Amino acid sequence: MRSFIVRRLFALIVTLFFVSVLVFVVIRIIPGDPALIIMGTEGSPEAAERLREAMGLNRPLPVQYLEWIGRALRGDLGHSIQYDVPVAQLILSRLAVTGPLTLLAALFMVVAAIPLGIFAATRHRRWGDYLAMTLSQVGISIPSFWAGLLLILLFSVKLGWLQAGGFDGWMHGVGPALRSLMLPAVALGLFQFAVLARTTRSAILEVLREEYVKTARAKGLAEPSVLVKHALKNALIPVVTVVGLQLGQLMAGSIILESVFYLPGLGRLALGAITARDLPVVQGVVLFVASVIVFINVAVDVLYGVLDPRIRYE
Amino acid sequence: MSRALRIAAVIVALVVGLVAPGPAQVQVAGGSLIVQAPAEPPGLDLTASPASAIAAVVHYNIQECLVRIDKSGKLLPWLAERWYSTDNLNYTFFLKKGVKFHNGREFKAPDVKFVLERALNPETKHPHRKHYEDIAAIHVGDDYTVTVSLKRVNASFLLNLARQGSVIYPREAADTLKSHPVGTGPFVFSDWVRGDRIVLAKNKDYHVKGLPYLDRITFRFIPDPNSALAALKAGDVDVLAFGLGPESVPELKSDPRFAVIQGDTTNDVILALNNSRKPFDDVRVRRAITHAINKEEVIKGAMFGLGRPLGSNIDPLNPYHVDMARAVPHDPERAKKLLAESGYPNGFETVLKVPPQYYYTVRSGEVIVNQLTKVGIKVKLEQIEWGQWLARIYRNADYDMTIIGHAESWDAGNYANPGYYFRYNSSKFQKVYAESEVTLDEKKRRELYLQLQKIMVEEAPVVWLFVHPRLVATKKGVQGIWKDLPTPSMDLSEVYWAR
Repeated sequence: MRSFIVRRLFALIVTLFFVSVLVFVVIRIIPGDPALIIMGTEGSPEAAERLREAMGLNRPLPVQYLEWIGRALRGDLGHSIQYDVPVAQLILSRLAVTGPLTLLAALFMVVAAIPLGIFAATRHRRWGDYLAMTLSQVGISIPSFWAGLLLILLFSVKLGWLQAGGFDGWMHGVGPALRSLMLPAVALGLFQFAVLARTTRSAILEVLREEYVKTARAKGLAEPSVLVKHALKNALIPVVTVVGLQLGQLMAGSIILESVFYLPGLGRLALGAITARDLPVVQGVVLFVASVIVFINVAVDVLYGVLDPRIRYE
Repeated sequence: MSRALRIAAVIVALVVGLVAPGPAQVQVAGGSLIVQAPAEPPGLDLTASPASAIAAVVHYNIQECLVRIDKSGKLLPWLAERWYSTDNLNYTFFLKKGVKFHNGREFKAPDVKFVLERALNPETKHPHRKHYEDIAAIHVGDDYTVTVSLKRVNASFLLNLARQGSVIYPREAADTLKSHPVGTGPFVFSDWVRGDRIVLAKNKDYHVKGLPYLDRITFRFIPDPNSALAALKAGDVDVLAFGLGPESVPELKSDPRFAVIQGDTTNDVILALNNSRKPFDDVRVRRAITHAINKEEVIKGAMFGLGRPLGSNIDPLNPYHVDMARAVPHDPERAKKLLAESGYPNGFETVLKVPPQYYYTVRSGEVIVNQLTKVGIKVKLEQIEWGQWLARIYRNADYDMTIIGHAESWDAGNYANPGYYFRYNSSKFQKVYAESEVTLDEKKRRELYLQLQKIMVEEAPVVWLFVHPRLVATKKGVQGIWKDLPTPSMDLSEVYWAR
């Protein structure tokens, strides 16, 4: 087990190295000069050149990369060009929105999808199954920004129960903060909820066909106890994997919802930074998010090894 | 009383009733206002960046200039109460006394000297150094008198002192303006939650008695127009300042909970042509394109009919504006004839690049492609991301045609600059413009500006499409918002809630 974890961690470090190089190169390959964008349509070429020099953009790329990664390893991700504050500080303040938003969406997705999947599986090819699968088909078909706008129209504009967007921070209490994240979390989790419901359903159906379940039934065990004691634990293995992958997708999807609900989260930070060519911020955010996703994947791998001993020894 | 007299009396009473002012709105001080803005400013230092998103928040609200442009576009004395000049080279300014910076220190003549010298210093990277380059020396007479000497006569000198880059700030705040602007304005910078909002608080020591009315202003950054509209309807914001799309105007106008303000801006939306590229180097081709375009149809298609057709760069809010919108009328037959004369009887192929960051460029582009097809010009419409637009088109003039809005007022100088991305190089225009810049006599200058407009129409360096309308939606009860926007800045000092 230990060597399995060590191998995984090594793979993690290699992946992150490639991600950091890729981010660094791509952000510099895309046309659009940060100095020029800061200057807008009024700046002179000389002024832009001076600004480039001040930002250290006219030195060789490898030198720039090594300097950046060296500092990043010490936790210093540089300084934002547009905001004039440290990138690490920006990321932390935005994480206070994106983190809870992603987790809320994940919570909604798990709490709604797994029971629905079980419900559909136990009513295989009956109306309950068809109803549940139609519901999840709807969830897959609606784009998240559209779902977000519909939720705003219903709950904010028509009913006036919740605000249409924005986030006033955690200092006004946890209740108001969570309230302003509710609609975006539901819109964000909708697609993944539908995917997870289907995954759960097929995983349970798979297990219910296994010999040991038939044996349990033959012994005369009641259906609920067959489900909970024998089927569920084994069916959960693929479900856990999918949930792990979905956490990364939720983080990526939050960019769109943060724009619709104008939440000051990581996604909008990244988007604005790309538009403004705020290189230190783009690099920092992408590296951070990539680290989180890679880390989740490793955690899922390890968890998988715990749940299913066969995996460890391959 | 005879009947005729009685009727006359009734009529008089009616007329008096009609023209007499109604009960005046009581201006109640207090309250707060939440204003939606589509773009977050890239820092808050007007002396470091030319972005109009900064001006919208800072200029007039936090920081002010010696001179100001009022709501009708006229120049007014402001931090300088008055000035005189006998030779149009040496201007002596008498400063308003008792004006305090937000840090409590009184504003005095040495501050003016410091600010102008810092703008002139190439090291400080002021985005508009050209506005001050005619300054030869700045001499402080006493605490409230300062004399600025020019190298040559400059008719735009006072106007440039009113622009957003000429805001006055205390020297001790110079290095931190980007994150904490300090000035003499009606509102004090209070808080900036990066990515979400900027908060301003009332300046209790403001040098204009009784102003401002509001206690607090919050700018919220909502980029998506649908979200912005929903936020207004849900009551999360009070004003959509720059984010109201023309398609939502009819709906909001018919809603009793909201008011819509429609006015003019100095944002000229143009179809820019690369005058250095074939076939646009031929004036007949440029005129043919102008004839081929139906501006009213563009406004209908792109702006739901809101916006004014435009005929030259001197927009309606400019005091020298002459309506030239129909000087080169929509006439496809003439367009075809001109194309044939210039050697393109079957038209030609070209590419129109539009930055979707500004919705009207894409919509206008679609209408224009269709109109140009009718005279035989085959246009490929391509979208280009803003960063690339700046790098490729604006800096390197690597394009055939593009559509963009130019928001600055008084920017005819761009057409006199052959290096500008239009690559318009007309010695005739440059000569008249240079003369207008050193002509202070009002009558003569108006005459020169009329000539400039005529040359623009004749030589058709670009096609001026329309003036982008100022569209503001507010909750009912918000009063005192400027109808027109003669500069990209938005003065909120006189805004109040009618109770």
